[in-house]
Amino acid sequence: MNKRLLTLWVLLLVGILIAACGGGGSTTPEPTAAPEMTEAATAVEEATTEPVATEPAGEASGDVIQLQLMGWASSDAENTRLQEMIDNFNSANSDVQAQLLLVPDYDTKLQTSLAGGAPPDVFYIDSFKLPDFVAANAIAPIGDELENVDDFYPNLRDAFTLDGTLYCPPKDFSTLALEYNKDMFDAAGLDYPTADWTWDDLRNAAEALTDSDNGVYGMVLSADMARWIAFLYQAGGTVTNADSTSMTLDSPEAKEAMDFYVGLVQDGYAAQPADLDSGWPGEAFGKQKAAMAMEGNWIIPFLQDQFPDVNFDVVELPAGPGGKATMSFTVCYGVPANAAHHDASVRLVNFLTGSEGMKAWTDLGLAMPTRASLRDTWLEKFPNLEPFLNGAEYSHPWQFQPGFQDVLDTVNSGLQEAFTGLTTTDQVLQNAQEVGTEVLNR
Amino acid sequence: MTTISESIPQSNVNGRVSWATVKKVLSYGILFLLALTFIYPFLLAIATSFKTLPEINQNPVSLIPQVVTLEGYQRLLTFNVPRWTLNSALVAVSITLGNLLFASLGGYALARIRFPGSKAVFLGILGTMMIPGIVLLIPMFIVLKALGFVDTYAGLIMPKLITAFSIFLMKQFFESVPRELEEAARIDGASPLQIFFRVVLPTAKPALVALIIFSFQGAWNDFMHPLIVITVNQQLFTLPLGLALLRGGMGQNLQWNSLMAGSMLTTLPMAIVFFVFQRYFIEGISYSGIKG
Amino acid sequence: MTVATGIRGEDRQNAVAGWLFMTPTILIFSVFVIIPIIAAVYFSMTDWNGISPPAEATFIGLDNYKTILTQPGIRQTDFFTALKNTTYFALGVVPMQTIISLLLAVVVNQSLLRFKSFFRTTYYFPSITSSVAISLMFLFFYQKSGLVNQILSTLTFGAWEPIAWMADPRGLIHIALSWFGLTIQTAPDFLTQTSLFGVPLWSWISGPSVALTGIMIMNTWTTIGTMMIIFLAALQDIPNFVYEAAQIDGASAWSQFRRITLPMLRPTMFFVVTLGLIGTYQVFDQIYVMSSGGPAKTTLTIAYLVYRNGFNNSQMGLGAAIAILLFIIIFALTMIQRRITGSEAAV
Repeated sequence: MNKRLLTLWVLLLVGILIAACGGGGSTTPEPTAAPEMTEAATAVEEATTEPVATEPAGEASGDVIQLQLMGWASSDAENTRLQEMIDNFNSANSDVQAQLLLVPDYDTKLQTSLAGGAPPDVFYIDSFKLPDFVAANAIAPIGDELENVDDFYPNLRDAFTLDGTLYCPPKDFSTLALEYNKDMFDAAGLDYPTADWTWDDLRNAAEALTDSDNGVYGMVLSADMARWIAFLYQAGGTVTNADSTSMTLDSPEAKEAMDFYVGLVQDGYAAQPADLDSGWPGEAFGKQKAAMAMEGNWIIPFLQDQFPDVNFDVVELPAGPGGKATMSFTVCYGVPANAAHHDASVRLVNFLTGSEGMKAWTDLGLAMPTRASLRDTWLEKFPNLEPFLNGAEYSHPWQFQPGFQDVLDTVNSGLQEAFTGLTTTDQVLQNAQEVGTEVLNR
Repeated sequence: MTTISESIPQSNVNGRVSWATVKKVLSYGILFLLALTFIYPFLLAIATSFKTLPEINQNPVSLIPQVVTLEGYQRLLTFNVPRWTLNSALVAVSITLGNLLFASLGGYALARIRFPGSKAVFLGILGTMMIPGIVLLIPMFIVLKALGFVDTYAGLIMPKLITAFSIFLMKQFFESVPRELEEAARIDGASPLQIFFRVVLPTAKPALVALIIFSFQGAWNDFMHPLIVITVNQQLFTLPLGLALLRGGMGQNLQWNSLMAGSMLTTLPMAIVFFVFQRYFIEGISYSGIKG
Repeated sequence: MTVATGIRGEDRQNAVAGWLFMTPTILIFSVFVIIPIIAAVYFSMTDWNGISPPAEATFIGLDNYKTILTQPGIRQTDFFTALKNTTYFALGVVPMQTIISLLLAVVVNQSLLRFKSFFRTTYYFPSITSSVAISLMFLFFYQKSGLVNQILSTLTFGAWEPIAWMADPRGLIHIALSWFGLTIQTAPDFLTQTSLFGVPLWSWISGPSVALTGIMIMNTWTTIGTMMIIFLAALQDIPNFVYEAAQIDGASAWSQFRRITLPMLRPTMFFVVTLGLIGTYQVFDQIYVMSSGGPAKTTLTIAYLVYRNGFNNSQMGLGAAIAILLFIIIFALTMIQRRITGSEAAV
């Protein structure tokens, strides 16, 4: 009796384990094998009629190199365009077949793959993250293998250059510019902003446009270093010295930029998104609770989709005491160090960022071309985006040293407290200076 | 019905009756109000899935769309939703079955069978819940890779066949069950396995139902585990993973209507599972009533 | 096979049965849970960045722990700020969700209650509604002109000043102190100038910030349903005859609840409170979706800090050390509460 039940139980247990394992096909690792289609998967496969263009081909296809390009999903139009470009690459190359993998939670996924020893062959790298990847020896410098490198804007090359080595080519970029609400300017009887505005012009306009009784402000500013830093550069300040060995946030220029930025909020001419019932500045601008915002070209499709009635235009950011400056945010196609198929991967990168590829990718008017040679033809098609593209000439890259996330967090947190009067601008800069020094000395 | 102030001067019997009525109405009122706040976001998600983007921004919390649009659902058609749903269902059902069997066995052993090392085993299992899963992602991926489980259903299912939560739930549950029934069976000479399958499991219906609901829900909504298991073969995407693509990785131009339409796909099957199984809580009552 | 004496035979049978019943669990756990945990413990003693393969990381002993616990700097300050925030979070949420869910479970378990299924189902709905939908809704509600401010304004006849909840870094205790004229400007120097583990005493006593309170309320609201189901399942299993006996003795509803229900629920209570501690001390999802640790790091929690270090700041070794410290904290708290709820004997 006892034994029969015991046998039954063991059988059951083994059965379940086998059933679960059976789903996995073989349990022995096959390093280069394409993922096995399991029985269940095949069954489901047959059930769904959806054709799958990017289905990885098996090993049977001989010498064809399989490449994976990993990135994050952006707008549907851009996702489709990128897939088309990959398809074109695949038809033009019989020996290399690339597969586009758009993944959610990109940072987590990418790091898991890299650290787990299964890196994708080509992947997106944000300029801010580049120093961390380089410090980890995770990416190969492919600057010397790129087509016509000098054609990329120097500022954008700098974003992916560390110690004189260019690691990867910028796939596109965005810059900050000033968006303004034409109706609100008209109502206040003000002239529209121009490219030669100064800080004083900005502040005066913000003051004139503010109607705080009705919850309307001249400008929307967020507690975000990625916005304040444009003012820092406009004031002639910097975050670190030229060779990145010491912090320079204790400079009078930094103080001036911080006072100006925080002052706009403290004096009531600008408000944070949250005070305008919004999650980010673009939303506050769309809701017409702020007459001006300082965002990148990503705000354009957002306003078109979600706030089609807003009558707005864009102009370059005003100049500060130290001249004109803006920020550029950019992403490159990186190739991992010790890549299995280095040459084929570089070929794919060149296909995507060469003149032809860059033209195809930026043709939607969403991303901006990083090649100076494409400037004129692109502007003919999208003249309204000129203030953003002009920024390429005088922008600063959003790239620092490994571990700078701590500095970013400190400044953001300090700005938030300074906005609400919980701390002083001196204190914010002092904290940032100290944390930055600690990070640089690590 | 009278108000409280009116009821006070009335006679004792009368006063008691109307006070009870007032209390009843008040309590039902509170319960319904609570119910409303608890279901509101779900209704709002439905409403939002039919709104246009400009309307969502203008009127985020209204339950009735001014203009009904299907654009949110149309966008879903461009994704391989049927396949993701099948994957999710396969994975969630397998995991639920695994937990049902293994957790009730383990939970019973830890609660009732005095065996050497049981305390240490329990504290060990409990302890595994206390480490934030986020640091285990990369080691887990390395283990999966070594086993050849990356991009397989086995990788999605096997590690979750038993969870610390399930075993803990069942152990605590069995501890609150009176011992008398088992003792009687034991005196009759039944083995632990017999006692478990013939005596204990049939009394455990409410807890098993809770376990089904939680296991299914946990597996159905899991995001992080499928994210690391699936690297190349996106045919194996589960619903939460696939729908996360709707959000895009960058930028704030979120298409709330399609996001909410997608969330309906994940919520409704779960709601059905809950509707079906919560009935057994009521049956549980009658069982324990008869038993008593 | 030898014939065992009565007691020893039973012991043996128990040992075999116990370990047999545990076999599947132990197998699966060893591979998919224990190995990764051992790896994480090892990582916490390396300088691993989380990007390169872990084999390339250098073993540095307890340096990460020293950095966090004893070395003044941003990493120490961040950890103790997160510990402070998380503790306020747990102190608020655990009692709230336990009491409310027990209350609801008792109510929807009443045999006389009408619409029982309706109430049970709706109270469970927050647990199954998409968390993105819930976060979205709460973000709307917490806006300056949102529902929460409107209700508070109505209740106080307009005296309530609308606040942008999710952008408000002021601590609740600080706000309360300010009513008595005690602010950072007027506070005595020993509060503002003395620091404990890199966090000024004045900040330690801040209380949860308004933004964190907002997330606490939302978290309570979403977990009540799950806890209610657990209590409900346990209530179902209390045999009716126990109550019938008490009713014959003429015990009131309250005394039945205190003398029968609560003691019978003791294992479940331990379960719910332990889950609550684990859940609150590891709160991550809502922070990730709603606040990213802001405003002014007042919603920075320990689990979010682990993520931040591991996946944003390439200090996975340090992140792992924080995770291990978090484990120690939760384990200690669980042992303490086991003593308090008297579940020790049972466990």
